[in-house]
Amino acid sequence: MPTHSPDEAPAILELRGMTKRFGSVVACDDVDFVLKRGEIHGILGENGAGKSTLMRMVIGLILPDRGSILIDGKPCQIFDPVEAAKHGIAMVHQHYSLVNALTVWENVALGEEGPVDRAATRDLILSISERYGLEVDPDAHVRDLTAGLRQRVEIIKCLRREPRIIILDEPTAVLTPTESEHLFEVLREGVSKSGWTVALVSHKLNEVTQATDRITIMRDGRVVERVLTRETDAPTLARAMVGRPVALINEAAALGAATSGPVIKTVDRERDVGRDTESRPALEITDASLRAKDGAVLLDGLSLEVYPGEIVGIAGVEGNGQTPLARVLASLLPLEKGTVSVDGATVRTGVAGAMLSAGISVIPADRFHSGCVTEMTVAENLMVACIGKMSRSGVLQPDQVREQALTLIEEFGIHTPSPDTPLAQLSGGNQQRVVLARALCISPRVLVAHQPTRGLDVGAIEYVGDRLRAAAESGIGVLLLTTDLGELASLSHRIKVIYRGSIIGEMRRDELDMERLGLLLGGSQDGESAA
Amino acid sequence: MTHAPPPKLENVMVDSSNRRWSQLRDVTILYVLSIGAALTISGFLVAMTGNSAPKVLKALLDGAFLAPGRWGTTLSIAAPMLLVALGMVVGVKAGLFNIGQEGQLLMGALAMAFVGTKLQGAGLVLLIGGLTLGALAGGAYAGVAAVMRYRRGVPEVISTLLLVFIAFQIVGFAITTDWFLRDLDPNRPSKAVTSAPLPEGVRLPIIRIFGNEFHSGLVIALILAVIVAYVLARTVWGFKLRLLGQNVNVAQMIGVGAKKAGSLALFASGAFAGLAGAVMLAGGASSYRLTTGFSTNIGWQGLLVALLARSNPLAAIPMAVLFAALRTGAGFLAATGVDRKIVDVVQALLVLALLIPPAVQEIRMRRRARAAASGETSE
Amino acid sequence: MTDILAAIADIFTSPTMYSSAVRLGGFLAFAALGELVAEKAGTINISVEGSLLAGAFAGAVGYDMTGSTWVGLLFGVVGGLLVGLIQANMSHRLSADQFIVGITANILVVGFVGFLNGVLNPAARRASIIEIPILSNIPLIGPALFGQTWPTYILYPLIPLTWWGLYKTRWGLEVRAVGENPQAADVSGIDVNKRRRQAIYYGAMLAGLGGAFLVVGQVGSFDTGMVGGRGFIAIAAVYFGGWRLKGMLFGALLFGFADAFRLTMPVLGYRLNAHMMAAFPYVLTLIVMYFVTKEFRQPAALSRPFVRGLR
Repeated sequence: MPTHSPDEAPAILELRGMTKRFGSVVACDDVDFVLKRGEIHGILGENGAGKSTLMRMVIGLILPDRGSILIDGKPCQIFDPVEAAKHGIAMVHQHYSLVNALTVWENVALGEEGPVDRAATRDLILSISERYGLEVDPDAHVRDLTAGLRQRVEIIKCLRREPRIIILDEPTAVLTPTESEHLFEVLREGVSKSGWTVALVSHKLNEVTQATDRITIMRDGRVVERVLTRETDAPTLARAMVGRPVALINEAAALGAATSGPVIKTVDRERDVGRDTESRPALEITDASLRAKDGAVLLDGLSLEVYPGEIVGIAGVEGNGQTPLARVLASLLPLEKGTVSVDGATVRTGVAGAMLSAGISVIPADRFHSGCVTEMTVAENLMVACIGKMSRSGVLQPDQVREQALTLIEEFGIHTPSPDTPLAQLSGGNQQRVVLARALCISPRVLVAHQPTRGLDVGAIEYVGDRLRAAAESGIGVLLLTTDLGELASLSHRIKVIYRGSIIGEMRRDELDMERLGLLLGGSQDGESAA
Repeated sequence: MTHAPPPKLENVMVDSSNRRWSQLRDVTILYVLSIGAALTISGFLVAMTGNSAPKVLKALLDGAFLAPGRWGTTLSIAAPMLLVALGMVVGVKAGLFNIGQEGQLLMGALAMAFVGTKLQGAGLVLLIGGLTLGALAGGAYAGVAAVMRYRRGVPEVISTLLLVFIAFQIVGFAITTDWFLRDLDPNRPSKAVTSAPLPEGVRLPIIRIFGNEFHSGLVIALILAVIVAYVLARTVWGFKLRLLGQNVNVAQMIGVGAKKAGSLALFASGAFAGLAGAVMLAGGASSYRLTTGFSTNIGWQGLLVALLARSNPLAAIPMAVLFAALRTGAGFLAATGVDRKIVDVVQALLVLALLIPPAVQEIRMRRRARAAASGETSE
Repeated sequence: MTDILAAIADIFTSPTMYSSAVRLGGFLAFAALGELVAEKAGTINISVEGSLLAGAFAGAVGYDMTGSTWVGLLFGVVGGLLVGLIQANMSHRLSADQFIVGITANILVVGFVGFLNGVLNPAARRASIIEIPILSNIPLIGPALFGQTWPTYILYPLIPLTWWGLYKTRWGLEVRAVGENPQAADVSGIDVNKRRRQAIYYGAMLAGLGGAFLVVGQVGSFDTGMVGGRGFIAIAAVYFGGWRLKGMLFGALLFGFADAFRLTMPVLGYRLNAHMMAAFPYVLTLIVMYFVTKEFRQPAALSRPFVRGLR
């Protein structure tokens, strides 16, 4: 809980009338925002609400179309992050700001000016590490670090500039609950001891209510509410964020409002225990092992099985083998050891198209990587998985392609001007619907969904959840890989925890214990003891 | 079966149709400007040699079309250029940048020369066999690059280029070696070391229209252009190839392995260049003889044709004729005192000029696509 | 069989062999040194070939105009840079495909140089040989490394200078970051495409210098076919070296040896088919690339264009 109330503090950063359009999309529309000295300020909103865009304008990664930035009451213009740093503003990015091939100290030195001084940079890192309890080896290569450690480097990189204002963009996505708690402690300490002011961008209600003093809520590029954290609660925030009362359980869960709440009660009991344990698993993975090119272990003797009609959720902090697992199941990677079988029949790994023809459909976490082809049209994307059906003796049948496209566009509610529109011109949510339609139109035996709702708005999240549930009900075995515990709790019949490439624990939904889950996520075997 | 878009989207669409017009205008202006710049530079070079641009243009037109029999010559050269361009298109569509056509073309010509001068048989059989073997030889030569890429990750851009220099030496070896292709006839017309000429029966039939002569390789090239266009747009094979070029991972997922499909695409790409070489030889280039400089840059220029046509097989037809015209036109430049190499400059400048507008346009498109795809760039 | 072995032994103990290996390898090293920097920044420039040729021609013109080797070398740098300007700005300011730009630039240079050579027909002469005392007395490698024409020695300080620039300066750190993870560099406040352009400029200038060196430091005359694909071999040398300076130099030297080998053989009276010998350096390059390419980790963003907001 917030330690002090900065209600009366002066504004350190003030944004007036910030507006940014991307083509026809208004990302930020006349946004006013005040950050008071010494506060932790939550900026809450769904994906696409404009909160990241707003903060990126503050540090000069995006230039506003209109609006002014005032620091300590003085107007200033910020053209790039270096300029922002001069004003004492720094941002801890969600992804992408570290170079894996460089060492920790080189990464920290990146983006500064003047000559590179290894010794000085190392000393600085060590002193920051010590001061805030952010231990890290300055000479390690970033590629060898875990996701949590990488974030430490991000934070050190940001603190190195001794900023007065620290912006964190969705910082907990890569952290275990324990690590998140540690992060918030560091922030509180920085605020009270070092005079930081913190802006915390998040779409998770629970972390915003836990860690902040004040909250600004954004929706559709506008600020819809400003509240003091101690005067509000999660349901109120959820309503303001979505713009209507949040009734559906999985919706609330998606927002993180109900992770430890009454989720279990919503379980369809019959389904929960209804799977026939005598039947053959739809998907069975045994002892799967895989190493990266540089020798890093990606999968380490991972075994799991998914029965027809159930959703098996795989919980895990990002970077513990989810991506390699999904890629193996999309025929993109071969296993070094172990087997994958569908309905009892072994499928060869790493062979083009083998998984798909065995009946495994994959919704990848990164749709641009292996989900869709942005340069092709909607119709072409929708026929990718079933070219065979769309052709006669090797010649495509345009009428059939169009017909199937129109059917799927309607069935999955894809908003597109026409089937012949290039996919690149659709919104993220609609692109994801195309991926979903593509994955389901072949009537798979197994559906693998990796972070299927990442980057979607609440409506789309709900839709995807419904679809996964419906898929399971129709007898498909669903494997759900996600870092979002709310989503996991509301959708899965069984939850397994993945840690460093293997499954280290399992629980049924009716025995869901968030505390134990949290420990497992951090790698404590069976959640017995905290490290 | 129409899906009504939500109101918000309609606004977007009205907006975008307005934008499309202004876009079209912008693009046109860009094209005019960049082509203008390319021609200005060329004109400047001409002026440097003390000539007038109109005079040079007149000579070019005479050489390419207007003087008697010239457009036949132009079309004879356009045919292999078009074939090379088609090969380039097939590669580019699959995401592969085979730029060693000059070498693959030589290998095709070598195979044709071998079949035509060393094997015995009926003329037509040898002709068809030679053309086929020429295509296979070009394909196999590009196949070396495929093996290197898919087994060991060597970029085809570099391997195909290096292979060009080796091809020149292979041809040189062939025509200087007695037991291979060297012409040992003591009565041969020139002293230059070449292969023996293709016998009468193994030559491509000549088509004569209005006093112009061109070889029937043009017909082959045109038919293949239409086939390539159809295959790419309408067949499963073409779709898979494009898919491979656009997103390797999606392709792999649905069963189009890069190794197999990519190798095939590289092979096909080289086969077109090989066929081009065979067609050149059987169509009468260097008097039906394989010589050291036989390829005369047709490989490079065909590559440029494909780039100029933006990898559209049908658009490659007029572009091939344009480039062939510049070449044959250059034959008449000697009279004006301008070095014919000016044409090489013009060709490359044109390609560079035409790269600019789409690149500018692409930057704009991407910006817009990115904005549409994620109003917020949080990922 | 013993004849062949004797012949090879003969060639490898011939001072001519080592001397020309350094000359030819040095020529490659100029281009490869620059291309290494450009590839560290994540770009592949097949226009090195064009830069080499442009540099060679400009070098000849510069010498012809002034009679000064220094001016020739300077002209070479400018000539190479002109090609680099095309490559860098079309591919990394605009977003035209770098290979398309590269190959077109190469063809353009061949045309330009061919045309201008007809008009200007520059004559050049080889610079004088300077033997560095003491060092040049070392057997075999002494005269090879330290008994060369003086422009050769420009290469030697460039090697540590490039290393220092790449690994010890902020610019170098940023260049490497841009080649590994342009998105990260971007959010750290680095202008990714600007660094890439600068790296290409550096590469193109060195290639231009290498071209001029070929004319005024080695051959003593200009010929339109004199570069003949060495630019691509220079790229191969960068691959061979696993994007490391030492390895790259070793690669350049190896390919230099290959070239020298075929040139030395006839000098010592051994006869082999001229075409086979001419193909030898290229064949060797291909074979070497086949075996080494997979062994090294290349810059992660090599040959991937950067547009902000896209991956």
